[in-house]
Amino acid sequence: MSILIGTATRVLVQGATGAQARFDIRYCLDYGTRIVAGVTPGRGGEMVEGVPVFNTVASALAATGADASAVYVPARGVKDAVMEAVEAGIRVLACFAENVPRHDAAAAVAAARSAGAHMAGFNTNGVISPGRCKLGGIGGDRAAQIYAPGRIGVCSRSGGMSAEICWMLSRAGMGASTCVSMGGDPIVGMRMVEVLKLFEADPETDACVIFGEPGGTHEIEVAAALRSGELRKPVVALIAGQFQERYPAGVSFGHFAAVIKGENDSASAKRRILAAAGARVATSLEEIPQLLTT
Amino acid sequence: MKLLEDQAKAWLRARHLPVPDGRAAHTPADAAVAARALGARVAVKALVAAGRRGKAGAVKMADGATAAEAAARELLGVEIAGQRTRRVYVESAVDIAAECYLSFGFGRLAPQIVVSRRGGVDIETVAASDPAAVVAVEVDAMRGLSVWQAAYLWERAGVESKLVPLLASLTARLYAAFRDADALMLELNPLAVTRSGELSIVGTMMEIDGNALFRHPEWQDLNLEEPGPGGRALNERERAVIAADRKFQGGAIRYTELPGDIALFVSGGGAGLLQHDLMLAAGGRPANHSDLSPASIDKPAALFDAIFANPGAKGLLIGMNYLQLLPCTLIIEALLPSIERNGVDPRRFPIVVRLFGPKEDEARRLAATVPGIRYLPHGASLEDGVREIVALVKASPGR
Repeated sequence: MSILIGTATRVLVQGATGAQARFDIRYCLDYGTRIVAGVTPGRGGEMVEGVPVFNTVASALAATGADASAVYVPARGVKDAVMEAVEAGIRVLACFAENVPRHDAAAAVAAARSAGAHMAGFNTNGVISPGRCKLGGIGGDRAAQIYAPGRIGVCSRSGGMSAEICWMLSRAGMGASTCVSMGGDPIVGMRMVEVLKLFEADPETDACVIFGEPGGTHEIEVAAALRSGELRKPVVALIAGQFQERYPAGVSFGHFAAVIKGENDSASAKRRILAAAGARVATSLEEIPQLLTT
Repeated sequence: MKLLEDQAKAWLRARHLPVPDGRAAHTPADAAVAARALGARVAVKALVAAGRRGKAGAVKMADGATAAEAAARELLGVEIAGQRTRRVYVESAVDIAAECYLSFGFGRLAPQIVVSRRGGVDIETVAASDPAAVVAVEVDAMRGLSVWQAAYLWERAGVESKLVPLLASLTARLYAAFRDADALMLELNPLAVTRSGELSIVGTMMEIDGNALFRHPEWQDLNLEEPGPGGRALNERERAVIAADRKFQGGAIRYTELPGDIALFVSGGGAGLLQHDLMLAAGGRPANHSDLSPASIDKPAALFDAIFANPGAKGLLIGMNYLQLLPCTLIIEALLPSIERNGVDPRRFPIVVRLFGPKEDEARRLAATVPGIRYLPHGASLEDGVREIVALVKASPGR
């Protein structure tokens, strides 16, 4: 088992005819992911890397039974793409567009959540269940090298750091059950604590690694769930961005979501609150494998 | 991007929302003309994008043109919240009977609305001293805000019954304005009830979404910019990066200069944050922070140009997380011409490259054509890159 995606997942690609989508589709197919359909309105009947393209999600689903979607539609059109997918019955999505207008992001996330869909992004590089399936470009051309299969659940606010963490795990002889890049935009489809609750229920996940940043309350919600006992599996937390505290509040140095506004928004506060709740706090990548084994 | 009050109110007025008459003035004489046209008593406000202007002395009441002129003379040129007052707003004074508070913004997942029957003061203060007077809820972004939902909010906030329908109707219209403007924040404080029983939007703050400018040609040329850290003005290199970010399609670059000497060309938000932390822990001092999600060569090239033009930088760390979506050659093909353009000698200006992923071998071959670039072996960690550049810059003779 794994969370969100697995060997049975049938993947749809929205915006399949764009350059990034083509690049990723090739690597996903090589990885063994079952990409069954693409959608680009107006391009129905074409093929991308041997995958049939449809005009609408509804027709793609009727023909292929896809159940997860990799959404490459750019920021300006992505709200409609998400709504179309969840209305058609898609229940797992990865949305790669970044800098999505905030009102569009809120509407798309509301649509996904009210349908009970799990959505990574906006500004995710995907979800991977090593050796089984990957949704999106995550891992690039060396997904097998970076993401080894194993029993650690990884949830990261940064797509790049999901790769660094999993690569560190694989070099230490460990691996991931599933790695979820949540997305770096201010509004994303899943809360970090929701992802960790999926790992909690997954019999093939023994422990979790989270990567957090300043800004927002994802990490604070995880700490609350650790305290309440809703999360019982060990959590190793790497929270970057402590340097921001040297500069005035309200300045963003990374992801737009990583802006310090409130007193619990800083990296230091999050490290402290997570540690007090029982999480093992790492300050560098190199410490993660050893914190998982102690 | 924060709008100034005249810009925000012009937008609200165009939607027939109840905003007092007013006009902007660049000189005391203009302010006198404006006051004469408005008649009777006016408020003269410094036009800076900041809250709490009343407390900061940036709002002055004036009876007649002469008093308005004097008030403008006092305010123009004055620095408020780190911003110089370049113009004032002259507005008909409102005969206020009661003040409410209303704002729209975003919570963790959805738009959020906050109402209070106690306006005209900081909402944080009210929330601390009289929590029952403040009601905050999330709005369903798909459905929007209905009049009856708004009525329930004001009722819970404890306003008197006869005001509920008035406030509810205006609140629903303002939510639509907030959404249609692609605003990130719209605050109406005070939202006044006049002695004749009407509502008037007296104080307004509005921040619009830079990511939605493509559907707002009206704000394309406002030339709004965020201040740098500590409210300082942006320097020419930071402006150049913003200009390049807007000019070229796809991806994103950000660049903020800091007082240290090691330039950071770091990607992927999170990996950049981590390397900055690690650098401080290793005793290095970053000359800037940057963030990059490249799509084409133009944006990384503009970021390299800014980094090399910074006189404070003595070395550079190119610390990319393992590339998953793009070839490594994209970064090196942006780097080499920028080294050439800016006359940089990597033997005197250390450059450490930690860059793995697609087309890595080709990127290594390209980088090897310029003497002095230190391209770390495959498998080196982010920590290794930081340690290396800190050591090299310490030992470097300087550019």
